[in-house]
Order: sequence, then structure tokens, then C-alpha cells
Amino acid sequence: MKAFLDRACELMRQAGASYGDIRIREDRKENIAVKDGRPEHIAAERYTGFGVRVIVGGAWGFFGTHRLEESQVEPVVRQAVAIARASASLPHTPVVLAPVEPAVGTYVTPHQVDPFRVPLEEKLALLAAATRAMRGPNIKLAQAFASAFWAHQHFASTEGARIEQTIVQTGGGIAATAIAGGDMQVRSYPNSFRGNFATAGWEYVQAMRLAEEAPRVAEEAGALLAAPPCPAGRRTLILDGGQLALQVHESCGHPIELDRVLGMELSYAGDSFLTTDKLGRFQYGSPHVNIVADATVPGGLGTFGWDDEGVPAQRTAIVEAGRFVGYLSSRETAPAVGRTSSGAMRASGWHRIPLIRMTNVNLLPGAAGRLEDLLADTDDGLFLATNKSWSIDNKRLNFQFGTEMCREIKGGRLGQLYRNATYTGITPEFWGACDAVCGQEAWRLWGTPNCGKGEPSQTARVGHGVAPARFRNVQVGVRA
Amino acid sequence: MTATAPLPASPCKDREARLLDIAARTGGGGADEIEAVFLEGRSYLTRFSRNHIHQNVGAEEVWASLRVVVGNRLGVATASSLRPEALAGARDEAVAIARASDPVEDWPGLPPPRPVEPLAAYDAATAEASAEARASMAGSVINAARAVKGEAAGAVEIEEGTVAVASSTGVAVASSHTRATLHTVVTCGDGSGYAEGQSTRIGDLAARGIGRRAARKAADSRNPQPLPPGRYDVILEPAATAEWVEFLSYIAFSGKTFQEGRSPLSGRLGQRVTGEAVTIWDNGRDPRTLPHAFDFEGMPTSRLVLISRGVAKAVASGYYRARRLGKRRSTGHALPASSGFECLPMRLFMKGGQASLERLIKETPRGLLITRFHYTNILDPMKTVLTGMTRDGTFLVENGAVVGPVRNLRYTENVLEALGRIDGASRRLTLTKSNCVVPAVRIRQVQFTGATEF
Repeated sequence: MKAFLDRACELMRQAGASYGDIRIREDRKENIAVKDGRPEHIAAERYTGFGVRVIVGGAWGFFGTHRLEESQVEPVVRQAVAIARASASLPHTPVVLAPVEPAVGTYVTPHQVDPFRVPLEEKLALLAAATRAMRGPNIKLAQAFASAFWAHQHFASTEGARIEQTIVQTGGGIAATAIAGGDMQVRSYPNSFRGNFATAGWEYVQAMRLAEEAPRVAEEAGALLAAPPCPAGRRTLILDGGQLALQVHESCGHPIELDRVLGMELSYAGDSFLTTDKLGRFQYGSPHVNIVADATVPGGLGTFGWDDEGVPAQRTAIVEAGRFVGYLSSRETAPAVGRTSSGAMRASGWHRIPLIRMTNVNLLPGAAGRLEDLLADTDDGLFLATNKSWSIDNKRLNFQFGTEMCREIKGGRLGQLYRNATYTGITPEFWGACDAVCGQEAWRLWGTPNCGKGEPSQTARVGHGVAPARFRNVQVGVRA
Repeated sequence: MTATAPLPASPCKDREARLLDIAARTGGGGADEIEAVFLEGRSYLTRFSRNHIHQNVGAEEVWASLRVVVGNRLGVATASSLRPEALAGARDEAVAIARASDPVEDWPGLPPPRPVEPLAAYDAATAEASAEARASMAGSVINAARAVKGEAAGAVEIEEGTVAVASSTGVAVASSHTRATLHTVVTCGDGSGYAEGQSTRIGDLAARGIGRRAARKAADSRNPQPLPPGRYDVILEPAATAEWVEFLSYIAFSGKTFQEGRSPLSGRLGQRVTGEAVTIWDNGRDPRTLPHAFDFEGMPTSRLVLISRGVAKAVASGYYRARRLGKRRSTGHALPASSGFECLPMRLFMKGGQASLERLIKETPRGLLITRFHYTNILDPMKTVLTGMTRDGTFLVENGAVVGPVRNLRYTENVLEALGRIDGASRRLTLTKSNCVVPAVRIRQVQFTGATEF
């Protein structure tokens, strides 16, 4: 492998690249879906190939191939260089990369049980048992899911970096679907859209105790069918961890991506309201709001050793006591704010270039204790749990979320169950209305395995650590 | 864009034959039945922002999906290589999955072959378009943006490839295709405009014209004024119409969700589900879309009417789902077996009317002209309630004329109900980037529930 990497780097230099890197990558994926006690869908995937990225004439070019053969190194470098020269044919400001010490090293996700070595029968048995435990008069679908991802990559750059990295990610969950009278309600555990995910092994799914949670999940799905719609109005909200993680993802994680801020994603996902003039000056939220981007937190779905530019994993302050202080950045974008890269560049495979992706964008714990303590401290409000729907504008200001479940809070206790709850707001107003965040004892990591970005499109697996939090005077409910 | 002259037969016959030959030799390993789906091709994307090319990529890829049947147990595995050892590994993995799975009691077997009429979907000039050609197209859009003192962002995308499907029942079909897509967002101060084009052939894409449309819209949308949420008549340009049709398809038109009771059409075939003006069908053979002759089971595509004059008529299926629904034949909408979605229509059409976009505007006393939507998502699938934002050109129309830009709004709307309030549609149908061929439509009293700051 060393000869392969060295030859690629030498060819890139010979072709006049001022910078170049190569990633040789193998991916394995396994997705399992069980429905009503029986395997519904099982698919195993393998992808292998390499991609070369160069700067020639101050502009980027990239080419990748599935042909992992030494004979392909030269034509792939040639294609990448030709593409870069075409990029440079239009007027441009030459790309300047922030410096980084070329790294040499290896990283492997700490995990106990390799999910790809667990017999399929064992995984199916765990999931099937969970679906069989989801019963109820109107439960029409009982589903359980497990997914595993394994990525092994060699990275080398013309600057001398040589990194070998293996990332293992595992996740799973259950969902009960109740249908009656033309209505459908879904309740999930531990999170919606196939569950929760982490950099971990099969032990992570085993610890979820899916079968033990299943009866409650089914009961709640059935109860939602009979619950009244959530009334509209301005209310105090407490968001559970799963919903709050997606709130952080959409209204903080994306707008702090510096490529979006600089217009590089404008034609697809959009740009950002957090323009560079706001850095260090803008009040993003209340003093209770402290956010970091942390690729080093153990178990986070966005945890790694180095990013796909060879920048070491790091923790970056994003919001301090409500004030906006940092971005997720790359070597190309960081100089625009006078900084070095925050190490956030990741590619979804050998065939894609790295983009700025969230690592683990975490809301730090506050002083409000456990969820029970926060509920007890709330006289009148709503408790919203588990995301069902999300939408946000292309600058990440106006958002609207729906949740699977909503319970009224009266006198510090949970009461009436509501269905189809939604809430909406403007990002800095919403975070400015945060008056309490639960403490370390309620803080946990959530994985978002389906973050889409870029053209051609890429899916990233990213993390968010949060504890439940309270927000005042939020618009709830939309009639349609 | 619509093809202007017939395309010649595919020049990729050698590659098609090679893929089918490899597929024919991919068997054994204990599988009673086996189906191979191979994709091989190249894709390139030149991306620009702030009037320069900032990302420029290409890749040659192979995707091999093997579905095996052992008894009546199924397994699926994929690989990114057509090498014998890679395919044997995928096959063995699929067999292992099948053996670990439960039997599918009503498994009808893999579909038997059906005649597939070839169609022209490959343009050599598109397949051979160079990096310089893509840069030139980007440059044309950028020049159009500069002409209004604006900045262009967007992408020029080229794709060429061959799909082959073969199975132990005798299915053996292959075809080749090309695609060229150009889309751009031009910004001009606080104004923003969008335009796009897509075709089987790159020659159909007029880069300068697309750039000028977006640039004009960006210039016209400067200084947008706030507008309170509420109900407004709307004129949806094709990109906006397509977003609703695409989401409706995802929610409603899959035979799988239909049978599971999760589709708003479940139990409602033959019933009125929306207004008379709404006729939606799928047709992979129509040259106005990016045509494809067969689905991922090798079954022929054809015209399938999903909603006719507001009445639900059919849902899409692959072979297994069709048999479960009591049909003899697949509708030709199987997705790759590695996809849990199973089946979905992917070449949608919506019937137009008699108007032009200009006439729709002229006949509107007060309403909104909407270029496109952003981040649409599903709030209630059974009631087809969607929410999303307007983006890149939202204008107030008064007394039959566009009077100025407005800030973007959030809609929350029951889409089947809203489509039932269509009172005008363009005669012209447009192929959008999402592979929908749709008109511009005017809809009465669409509900907007929020507003943003730009």
C-alpha cells in the first residue's frame, strides 16, 4: 500500500500539483429491517476504490475509480489534473490551504464487538423479539432495525501525511405504527428513523434493551391515535434529547459550516445567516447555551482520529454563553476567518471529495439537573419527544419541527397526551428563549446517520450530545 | 428540455453485452434463483460559486447487486466491482443472508422474462463532454450573472452508464443512458433567482439562457418586502409543482406502503382523492423524460396512470408486490433489491392545461408567483400534509402583473386538497431536475404559516 500511495503523490507532484492527496477506501455496510417478527429486508454492501484530489493552477480537480490497481494510479492522477486545469480556466482566486503538520499515524474506533462478526441469526433474533413485543389493537406494523458501517482508509498527501484509519459505527432501534380511522401514528425508540447510532460495536445495540422497551413504545403509539391534536399557541417547551439533537443539527450544525457561509453550497442546500461579520459578536442564544464541535468525544457518531484532509480531530468552541464564536471549517475555508482548520472535512466514500461535515456538535450540559427536575420546575408547558418531521429555510433561520409525542406539563407533572405536535421559530430567537438545560446526568449522545449535503450528494453520519432543555414562548401548532 | 431529434441506437453495445455475459456467469454458490443488476459508468460534476469553479469532480463506478433465493428465503448483497472474486463474495454473502432469513411464504419466484422494447437514451456527445466543455457552460452562466452585477452558484453534471439485469429465470436486458443537468442560483444583492435544465443530451442545455433566466430573476427579486402569513393564491413554476408531485409519489404511489395501509390511497382506488384537474402518470418510455426501458427487475416500463381526473387509479409495483396485490404482472417500478423501499414511480408526469405561465399571471387578481420550494418534508403522510419554504424568487402578483419580490414564506398544506384547487395550468410541460414532467399551475388559497427574514 505504501508504494501505491507514494507513487500517487509523486505523480501528483510531477504533474505540477501544488497540493494533492489520495484516499484508498473500503466500506462495508449492513442494513437489517425486521417487520412483525420476520426479516423484511437485509442488505450487505461493499465499496472499494480510490480517489485523487489535486490543486493545479490554484484550482481543484478530483477523480476516483473503483479499479484499485497500481496501473490505474497514473490515469487517475492524469484525469484529476486535467479536471483541475479546466477549473483554473475560468477567472479565480488561487486556493490557499491553512497549514497543518503532516500527520503519520493510525486510528481505530474503540469497540468491543465487531458488528460484522456477530452472526446474522443473533442480530435477527434480537430484532425479532423486539417486534414481537410490540402489540396492540391498532398496531399494524412493528419494525426493528440494525445497521453497521465499517470504513477503512489510507490517506496520503504530497505534504507527507500518511494516515490509516478504521471507523466502526453501529446503531438500531424499533418503531410501532398504529393505524385506524384514516390516521397513522408512529412511536419509536430510542429515536425515530431507524434508531440511534454511535461509533461503537454491536454492544451498543445490545445495551438498548429493545425488547424491554417495546411494550411501552407500542402502547404509546396506540394511545396517540386516541389523543387530541396539540392545540396551537405560544407555550413553554421542554424538548427531549432526540428532538433537541435534531434542533441542534439543523439550526446550529448546518449554519456553522464555513463552506455554506462562504456560498459554496448555495445552489443546493443553501448558505447561512451566521455570516463572518457575526463571528465573536453575534448573540446566537441565551447565556445557558454553550455549544462545541467535538470530534474527540468517545462514542460520538462523528468521532474519528483525523479528518479526510489529515487534520487531527479536535474540540472547537461554537457558542459560548450564547455568543457565536466558531465555525466548522476546512483547510481551504479557515483562512477566510483568519484561523486554521477545525478538522471537519469528511467524504462519504472513495468516490467523493471531502466536504465540511458536522463532527459531534454538542449542546453542553447546564445546571437544571435531571429531566424530572426540569419538569418539576415547569408550571405550565409542553414536553415534546422524538422527531417526526423537520424543515428549515436555506439560511437556517425559519424552522418547523414535528414530534411523535407531546405531553402537557401542569404544575410540574406530565399530563394530557397530544398528537401531531409541531413548533416553529426563528433560530436566534428560539435559542435566545432557552432558560434551562439539564445537567451532565441527563446528557447523552445522539447519532444522525443521514445528513445529506453536496453535489454529487453525500450522506454523513454525525453526532450531537445534548441534555433536555427548556424554551419559553415558542409558537406551537399549525392547522392544515 | 425535450429532445429535438431522435437519438441514434446506443453505441455501448459492447459494454451491454459484456455486462450481460458477466451476469450470466454469476450463479451457483447454493442459490436456487439469482438475479444480477449491474451498473457501470462515469459521472462528472463541475460546481461553481461566487463566479468561479470551486469543486470539479469525476468518478468511474461499478455497482453490482445480487439477489439470491434459497428455497423461498431471500438475500441481497452488493459490490463495487465486477471481478469474479468480488461477485462470488457478494453471492456467497447473499446466500448466507438468505439462509439466515425466514421463508417468504408467498414468494412468487423471480419474475419471468418479458419483452423489452429498446429505446434511445444515450447521446455520445454528452458522454464525451470534456471538463473544458463543462467549464465553458459554467462560464456562460457566470457571465450572465456578471451582466446583472450578480454572482452565480450551481453545477454542470454529466452522467453516462449502462444498466444490465439478468436472472436465472431468463431475464437478460441491458441499456445505456446519458444525462446532462445544469442548475444555478444567481444572487444579486439580497435578490436570488433559480433556473435549471436537464436532458439526455448536453446539446439541449442552453447554458446562457439558463443563466439569464436566473440572473433576471435575481435582479428582479432585490429588496424583497415582508408579507404576512395567510392564504394566498399561488402560481407554481414547474420546479415547485414537481416538488409536490415528487413528495406525493413518495407518500402515496408505492404498492408497498399502499398494501401496508400507510398510503393515503390505501383502500381508496377508484375514489376521488383530489380535484378533476389532476391527472398524474408515470412513463419511463416517454422521450420527454430521461427514458428508461426497464426497471431493476428487468421488467418493461410503460405508462401507468396513478390519478386520473382526481380519481385514484393505481399504485406502482415490482413483481413480488404485484402478485401480493393480486396482479399478474409488475407495473415495471421495482427499485434495486438492496433498497427497502421496494417500488416507486420514478418518471412522473402531470397533465397540463391550456394557459401559458404569463397568462396564469395575467389572470391572477392577487397571489404569489413561486419559483421553487426548499426543504419540503412530510408532516402527516395519510393526509398528505407537507411543509416547506419558498426560495430563489418569490413575487407578489396584483391585478395580473408581478408587482415585486416578497420575503420567503413557509407553507403547511394538505397537498392532495391543494391540488384539488388548481384552476389553471400551463400547456407546456417541463422536465425538472427531479425527473418530473409537469406544468406551471395556479392554485387557490394555499396556506402559508410562517415567514423568514429574507
